[in-house]
Amino acid sequence: MSDTLVNMRDVRFVLYEMLDVEQLTKYEYFADHSRETFDIALDAAYKLAKEVFWPAYVPMDKQGVSLDTANNKATVAKEMHEIWAAAREGNWQGISGPAEYGGQQFPGTISAAVHFIQNAANTAAHMYIGSCAGAARLIYSFASEELKQIYVEKLFTGQWGGTMCLTEPQAGSSLSDVKTTAVPAKDGDYYLITGTKCFISNGDHDLAENIIHPVLARLPGAPPGVKGISLFVVPKYRVNDDGSVGEFNDVITAGFEHKLGLKGNFTATLSFGDEGKCRGWLLGEANKGLTYMFQLMNEARIATGSQATSVASNAFFHALEYSKERFQGRRITEKDPTTPPIAIIKHADIRRMLLIQKATVEGVFALLAYAAFVADKEHASPSAEERENANLVLELLTPVCKAYGSEAAYDAIIQAIQCYGGYGFSEDFPLAQMLRDCKVFPIYEGTNYMQAMDLLGRKVPMKGGKGFQALVAAATKTVKEAASIEQLKPLAEKIGAALKIVGETTMHLAGIAGKGDIELYMYSSATYIKMFSPMVVGWLLLWQAVVAKKALEKGAGEADVKYYKGKIETARFYINHEIPHLEANAQIMKSNERTAIDFDEEWF
Amino acid sequence: MKILVPLKRVCDPDNANKVKVSGDGKAVTSEGLEWKPNPFDEYAVEAALRLNENAAKNEKLGEIVVCSIGVADVAQTIRQALAMGADRGILVTADDGALESTVVARALKALVEKEKPDLVLMGKQTVDGDSNAVGQMLAEMLGWPMATFVASISTSDGGKSLNVKREVDMGVVTLKVTTPAVVTVDLRIVSPEAVKNGATPDSHKYNEGPRYASLKGIMQAKKKKIDQLELPALGSDATPATTYPRFELPPARSGSCTFVESVDALVDKLKNQAKAF
Repeated sequence: MSDTLVNMRDVRFVLYEMLDVEQLTKYEYFADHSRETFDIALDAAYKLAKEVFWPAYVPMDKQGVSLDTANNKATVAKEMHEIWAAAREGNWQGISGPAEYGGQQFPGTISAAVHFIQNAANTAAHMYIGSCAGAARLIYSFASEELKQIYVEKLFTGQWGGTMCLTEPQAGSSLSDVKTTAVPAKDGDYYLITGTKCFISNGDHDLAENIIHPVLARLPGAPPGVKGISLFVVPKYRVNDDGSVGEFNDVITAGFEHKLGLKGNFTATLSFGDEGKCRGWLLGEANKGLTYMFQLMNEARIATGSQATSVASNAFFHALEYSKERFQGRRITEKDPTTPPIAIIKHADIRRMLLIQKATVEGVFALLAYAAFVADKEHASPSAEERENANLVLELLTPVCKAYGSEAAYDAIIQAIQCYGGYGFSEDFPLAQMLRDCKVFPIYEGTNYMQAMDLLGRKVPMKGGKGFQALVAAATKTVKEAASIEQLKPLAEKIGAALKIVGETTMHLAGIAGKGDIELYMYSSATYIKMFSPMVVGWLLLWQAVVAKKALEKGAGEADVKYYKGKIETARFYINHEIPHLEANAQIMKSNERTAIDFDEEWF
Repeated sequence: MKILVPLKRVCDPDNANKVKVSGDGKAVTSEGLEWKPNPFDEYAVEAALRLNENAAKNEKLGEIVVCSIGVADVAQTIRQALAMGADRGILVTADDGALESTVVARALKALVEKEKPDLVLMGKQTVDGDSNAVGQMLAEMLGWPMATFVASISTSDGGKSLNVKREVDMGVVTLKVTTPAVVTVDLRIVSPEAVKNGATPDSHKYNEGPRYASLKGIMQAKKKKIDQLELPALGSDATPATTYPRFELPPARSGSCTFVESVDALVDKLKNQAKAF
C-alpha cells in the first residue's frame, strides 16, 4: 500500500516557484511568518497526516459512528479521538485564525496546502477539524463583540466543535424554503429556535464538550424567500457567564445518515427545540443570514474541491505504486510469449490513465492554491484596487474549484481503480473507499449544477464581467509568455484559442439572456462550466510549464530535471486531451441545444 | 538539568532506497530527497523534553540545547526541534562532505566544554552512515561515563545520576550512570513510560513516539536563538581519521525463488546450501 499522500515537491513548486507565496509576508497581517515557518508547518502537517490521520482512514470507514438515542449520545471512532487530540495539541483547528482569538494567523494559501495534506490522509476526519474554523470565522466576521468573546477562541482552539446548519428536509438546494423559526424570547436577548436540520456534517460527536451550530431560521413576519432568513448561533449546551459549558440546549440528534462514503463523519439530523427550550442568538442583523452564511459556504465550496482532489492524490499514488509492482503482459511489439512479463506501467495506456490522474491532481491543486492566494490578497493587501480584483477573481473561481474539483477528482479515482484491474473493485484495497468517499463532493455544499448556475448566472456577469476580464487578462499574460518559448508554443496557442472560444460562447449566451430566454441560459450553465473549467486549469498548467521550463534553463539537479520535465509533459497531456472537448462543449451551447428543456416527462 | 542534544539531518529514511552513488564513485548522493531529522536523534530530543518537564503542570525544569553540524540549511532541522520545545540551538557550519565521526565527536567535545551540560543525550546512530560511533568517541574524549542503546531512563539522587536500561543482544542491562554523562538512545526511549524524571507523575502516560511540533511551537521556535559558529572557530581538529576512497553499490540480487516440498527440505537447504547456521 502506498504511503505517499501528496507530492510535497509539487506542493512546494506551487507555493514557492509558481505563486511566490512568501510575498504575502510583506503584508502586515502575515508579517510574523516566513518561508521557514511555512516549511516547518508543512512538514509537521505531513508527518501528522501520515502517522495519525492516514492509519485511521480505513478503520473509521469500517467502524462508522453510532448514536444512543435514549441518552442523546453520539459516538465516533476511537481513532478519531486520537486525531482530534493531536490536532488540538498542534493547533491545527486554528491554523488560519487571527492570533487575537487563539489562531496562528497563517496565510490561507498555506492552510489550503495543509488541508490538502490532511484531507488526502483522511478527509472524513479532517471535516471535524475544518468545521471549527468555519464556524469560528463566521462568528468572528459578523457577530457582536459579546458573541465573539464567547465562541471564537474556543472554536479556533478546538475546545468546541462547529457545524453549518442550512439544509432542512424540504429545503436542500432551495434555501428559500427554510422553515425553522426563531421567536424572540420574552425574558432575554435570545430567540427560541424550532425546526429540523438534516445532512449536518460533524453534526454531533463526542470529540468536544460543546458543538456550536450556526443555524438559518426565520423571524416572525420575515419576508418570504431568501430575504427573510436570519442566522443564529445555537450551542448544543448553553454557555455559562464564566464561559463554561452549562445546561443542555434542547438540540436533539434525531439520527444519522447511513451513507455511501465518509462513514467516519457523523452526518446528523438535528431537531432544535422539541421541548421549546432551544436558545439561539442572532448573528449580525436580522434577515441578512444568507449573506453571512455565504462566507462560510464559499469557504466550504473551495474546501470541497480540496477534499475531492486530495483523495484523488492519495488514489493516484496508490495506482502509481501498483502499476510499478504489477507485472502483466508484454510490449505490444514483443511477439515472444516466453519473455518475462513487464510492469504494467510500461504499457502506454496505463501511463495515459496515470497522466489523467496526475494532471487532475496537480492542475486542481494549483487552482485551489491560487484561489487561496487570491483570497489572502483580498484579505490582507493594502491596495483597495488589488483587494477588489482579488475578490472578483475569487468569486469566479469558487464554483470552478467546487464543481470541477469534485468531478475531475471522481473521474481520476475511477482511472486509479482501472489501473488496479479487478483488485481495484475489491474493498481489500482502499481505492473503493476513496471512490465512495468522493461521490458526495459533486452533491453537497451546493450541487454541481448550483455551481454551474452560480458561475454563469452570477459570477461571470458580476460587475459587468470585471472578474472574468481579470482572469482572461491573467491567462493571456501566461499565453504570451509561453508563446515565446519554442517548446510551449503549441500549448500556448491552444490555451489562447480556448480563451477566445470561451469569450465568444459567453457572448452568445449573453445574447440568449438578453432575449429573455432565461431557461435556456441557465440550462446551458452545466455545459458552460464544463467548458470554462478546463480553460482555467489548462491555463494554470501552462503557467506551471513556463515556470518549469525556466527552471530547467537555469540548471537543475537530476531529480528536479525529472520533476520539471514531467511537469511540462503533464501540461501537454492535459491541454492536448482536454482542451478539444472545450470546443465541442462550445458547439453544443452555440447550437442552442435545449432537448432536455422541451422533453416531456411522459416520454421517459 | 541542562541537556545538550546533538541532532543530524539525514535524507528521508523512508526513501533510503533512492540514495545513489555519484558518477565518480566519490560520494553518496541524495539529490531530490527530503531532509529529515535523524529518527534516533529525534527520539533523543523527545527524551530530553520528558526529562526536563513536569508534563502534568506543563512546567519546564531545565534547558535543552540542540546542536548540529552542517551547512546553513541545517538550521531548519534545528528549528524543528525548537518547535517541539527545545530552548535554543547551535549550528556549527561545515561542509556536509567533511563530516566524519571523529570530526563530529571532536566538535561536540568543544561544544560540551563551552556549554557545560549535565547530560549529552543523542541517538545511538544516524540512519545514513549507521556508524554508531560518535557517542562512544565523545564520551571517551570527555572522560565521561557513557551508556549506549538506552531504552529507558529514570533520574535518581535529585538528577545527579540516571538509572538506565540498555538494550543489548542478550537482553536488557540496567546501569546507574552519574552525570555528567553521554547517553545514546534506542527506539523504545519514546515508548509511553520510558522516561521518569521524578517530577512528572509516574501515572502520566506519554503518547508513543516523539511529540509533533505544534503550530504554536513553530511560531515560538522562530523567536528562539540559533547561534552559528564555524567549525574552525571551535578550535577542534577537522582532519578526518578515516577517508572513503570509493563507494560502490552491492551487486544486484538475482531475485530467483525456489519452492521446497517440506520444512525439512527448507532446513536442509538453509543449512547445507545457504550455510545460514
